[in-house]
Amino acid sequence: MSVTHDSGRKKNHLDRQFDLIRRREEAGELSNPKGYRFARKFLSNRLAAFGLVVFTLIVLVSVLAPLLTPYNPRAIDLRNILKPPTWEHWFGTDKVGRDLFTRVLYGGQISILVGLGSALASAVVGVLVGCYTGYVGGWRDALAMRVSEIFMSFPQIILVLLLVAILGQSLSNLIIIFILTGWGGIYRLARARMLSLREEEYVQALRSFGLSTPIICYKHILPNALGPIMVNITLSTAAFILAEAGLSFLGLGVPLDIPTWGNILNVAQDLRILENNWWVWLPVGIVISLFVLSVNFIGDGLRDATDPTQQG
Amino acid sequence: MLAYVIRRILILIPMALVISFLVYLGLELTPGDAVSHMISPEMMASISAERLDALRESLGLEQPFFVRYWIWLQGMLQGNFGYSTAGGVSIHTILSDRLPATLELSAVALLFSTIFGCVLGVISALKRGSTTDNVLTVTGMLGVSVPEFFFGLVAILIFALKLQWLPVGGRLLPGYDSYWDHVPHVIMPALVLSIMMTAGVMRYARSSMLDALSKEYIKTARSKGLPEWRVNLLHGFRVALTPVIVLIGFRLPVLIGGSVIIEQVYQWPGVGSEFISAVRSQDYPLVMMIALLSVMAVLTASLLVDILTALIDPRVRLDK
Amino acid sequence: MDTIVETLLEGKAISAVGLLPNGPLKPEGLNAYKYDPDKARELLKEAGWDSSQELDMVYYYADQLTADMMAAFQAYLADVGIKMNYRLLEGDVAAQLNTVPEDPVNGPSAVKWNLGYGARAALALQEYYNGFATGSSAHTPGSPEMDKLIAGINATSDPAKLKTAYAAIQTYENEQLDTIPLYYQQLFIYESTRLNRNGHEYGNEQYNYDWGIVDWTVEPDADGKKVLYTNTAPAQFFEQPWLNLGIWIHNKVVFDHLLVADGSLTSFGPQLAESYNVSDDGMTVSFTLRDGLTWHDGSPLTVEDVAWSIKTAMMIPTVNPVVSNTIHSIEGADAYSDGSADDVSGIALDGNTITLTFATLDPNVLLSFSQFAPLPAKYFPDIDPLQIQQSSFWQKPIGSGPFMVSEVKMNDFTTMVPFPDYFGGVAKIDEIVAFPSGDGDGNLLKNAGAHKADYGFTKNTADVSALEGMDFMKVTPADIPYTRMMWINHYPMN
Repeated sequence: MSVTHDSGRKKNHLDRQFDLIRRREEAGELSNPKGYRFARKFLSNRLAAFGLVVFTLIVLVSVLAPLLTPYNPRAIDLRNILKPPTWEHWFGTDKVGRDLFTRVLYGGQISILVGLGSALASAVVGVLVGCYTGYVGGWRDALAMRVSEIFMSFPQIILVLLLVAILGQSLSNLIIIFILTGWGGIYRLARARMLSLREEEYVQALRSFGLSTPIICYKHILPNALGPIMVNITLSTAAFILAEAGLSFLGLGVPLDIPTWGNILNVAQDLRILENNWWVWLPVGIVISLFVLSVNFIGDGLRDATDPTQQG
Repeated sequence: MLAYVIRRILILIPMALVISFLVYLGLELTPGDAVSHMISPEMMASISAERLDALRESLGLEQPFFVRYWIWLQGMLQGNFGYSTAGGVSIHTILSDRLPATLELSAVALLFSTIFGCVLGVISALKRGSTTDNVLTVTGMLGVSVPEFFFGLVAILIFALKLQWLPVGGRLLPGYDSYWDHVPHVIMPALVLSIMMTAGVMRYARSSMLDALSKEYIKTARSKGLPEWRVNLLHGFRVALTPVIVLIGFRLPVLIGGSVIIEQVYQWPGVGSEFISAVRSQDYPLVMMIALLSVMAVLTASLLVDILTALIDPRVRLDK
Repeated sequence: MDTIVETLLEGKAISAVGLLPNGPLKPEGLNAYKYDPDKARELLKEAGWDSSQELDMVYYYADQLTADMMAAFQAYLADVGIKMNYRLLEGDVAAQLNTVPEDPVNGPSAVKWNLGYGARAALALQEYYNGFATGSSAHTPGSPEMDKLIAGINATSDPAKLKTAYAAIQTYENEQLDTIPLYYQQLFIYESTRLNRNGHEYGNEQYNYDWGIVDWTVEPDADGKKVLYTNTAPAQFFEQPWLNLGIWIHNKVVFDHLLVADGSLTSFGPQLAESYNVSDDGMTVSFTLRDGLTWHDGSPLTVEDVAWSIKTAMMIPTVNPVVSNTIHSIEGADAYSDGSADDVSGIALDGNTITLTFATLDPNVLLSFSQFAPLPAKYFPDIDPLQIQQSSFWQKPIGSGPFMVSEVKMNDFTTMVPFPDYFGGVAKIDEIVAFPSGDGDGNLLKNAGAHKADYGFTKNTADVSALEGMDFMKVTPADIPYTRMMWINHYPMN
């Protein structure tokens, strides 16, 4: 890995040339060679590959929960409460005798839905608004910009708490709140791309051919911005999963009757559980951390793979 | 420059107005009001509706929305932040009680994260590709991946309850007269609060250091035969610091927001925990004031960062 | 319910039979309705229960235990074929819970839920039933029988008559089962081994009773100072003591009352009053203050202060309902509170004696005055009673009790030191240090684990087990009138 200074300079020079080539390349359709390069670069990053494996694994076991565990996440068993892990209950049981392994799997469904779902949805909102207003410009652009500025001038947790107070606590509200707090970043990204590309010759040309705005956006602008958008989605996913856990800690997250990672971990607030029943909080704490870590590794790998100027 | 700063400040005013109106409107739409939080539902069952209405009236809760907003706004313009509905305490008093605590916690966390982040980031960059670098990178990632309240609770379990080295929480005890008495109280929450930021600063410091090290003048300095450590420190580090300063500037308000949860974990009597209780008890004037304050902190910090960047790097022009 | 009590509640509660807590007023032979799923299924079948119908259950406690209990209820009901979903009420909880239908006999219901989980915590036992009178309940239509039985328990303060009246209403209610009693919540008083109450009794710690704090002693610390650590200090302001009568530490030690109750709040003796006298018909009550009483600032505590406090409390809604009922039963109270009279005709002052004449009989006069703390009138000149909590007095109140507020760091701690001129002698503890943590928040255990909690009380069963696990902590349960119950909305839905 150690690089001498000479070869470093050469590489920089080479990179610049590559960029030039790439920029020409990107003037056309998203071509296969670039896709390959991307995949190769991504997978050669060991951490990113590790992240992808862990991520896929956790998503799979959560989705396949009904096949993997015979228990119902809500079925209580008051005669078997707070039992340490056994062969029947891999992660032990909680304060009402529910199987914790099952709850972690089912909780994963909701938590991943909240995290990934909100991140994807806010990306969609951000891209749509950004592309559209960036393309048409004028008062719509100015309005969208002001609105995003308003949302982005709050520290995130303050805004989330305010919105929880205003909208009330429910699963769907939480997703809406995350979308509201998360769309701004991607919107700005998409808009900036749109603004710079709008003036590019080939876009002008496409327009003169009579191609409609959505098609131009979809076919030519989106692929260009895909890298940063994907990085942004991964970062948002990580942030939202952590936010869900934090809100549960404050008692302002998803209602307690729905198992989520945050709600399961939340019982660690009870010092007695924290001291005596490690299996109630440690496995789910590790799963959350591992999942967020894997998402962060993926995001990092994506960043490196899509941004050739990044060093390291 | 001056004109730019003035313009930026002038933009803040309509922003603040719009935000305050939206927040006020939003809170208006929530069901229930401060009165419904003052008295427990069990007791409320035995209190007559007329008496509750009288109480609402005395708190000004029965007036139409616009009137209340206007009264609030007028108060603000005259520098009167209003009164908390829960106990009628002046918000000015509440904030001047709580703000020092939050600032203290944030400042210490900022200090920790800057020192650890820069040092670790620079080490990581200088030893690029080594095991140390890899371990630091993965640890940094881990730092941003673990829920911070979880860190906090486990730290309490270990350091306060098992080892009994540090107090479980709180900020002051009777008989404290010097600032040094606070130290045992602030260490644990500040360290936990700084974990996420340390990871961020470390990352930035590493990549800007790498960036700087590849610059021509560093190589010139090296070719002049300066000792390696002087090259690294004097030139690389100084240049690398610019983006780090920017990052820290942007982080400041996030820190204030981020301390909400940590303050709750450690019973730290700051603005964050006050905000939570105000949200819970629908104490609108207090919620408004803290939200606005945090918005102002974000906007001011971003302005400062812009100015600072321009001062450090004259190539950045402010009048875009 | 027995299983739930044993497991979820860790044995720290008592399964309920009837709404009224166990005690001398409970008649024999009430049906406990033991858990019998087979019978339940049979009855449901007989009644033709539509198993596709989903019941909507609401609750308003945001703690983990309640959520767990809801999960248990859901599972138990599902077992017999009843679908139930539960939700936490938010916002204006009282309105969503307590709104009475316009037609209190036939409905339709003014609330949206089918089942409600909640509690009745009573200072006076009448509170358990008064809410079932026609036109007072959001879930149970009134009936002439019930109204008559309710009138029965409110019409007398004679113990024998009360016992008969309570037996009648409990038997009736046990048969009707309009509301399902679940369990009696206990209160747990914890004290560290550093503290010695020197033989004084334990009682209902949520209210004020004769606990003898003046005689309590604490092991001195390294500097020889005897400091008692506790919780329930204010976070933002000292709540005025008429609402949550004995919850906050300042309610307990900074303010004294005319009378003092025993631990079960049933018999009374003098406190600020040197003597008191109740007329045979119970309609006239007089209190004579001790000579030379002073407030913490040294100024004299007079019957004028007491009269001012009573009159002010008439005007404000944030007064405990039992106390409020007592003072509104005073002759002329209504005219005074609606503004048509300048003074209360039923309050007469004579030297050191205040005499109250009642317009309607109130069975709880002595109880109320064992909880109602007089305030120093001179600190509230020209105050709008509704704004009383807004007074700067509540940043550092002046009281009449054995301890006076010394140092206040809102949200950090409050210290209280003995009042040197206290009529009952100077307290033996040098200082009380209180932290702003309340009943059921996680900080209690943290503070206790760090030896920063010498005395306090909690209703949180999980905390109790944890406190019992600390070898330096002693926990004493106290039976209190506090029943958890499930309301059934009998009104038709709209």
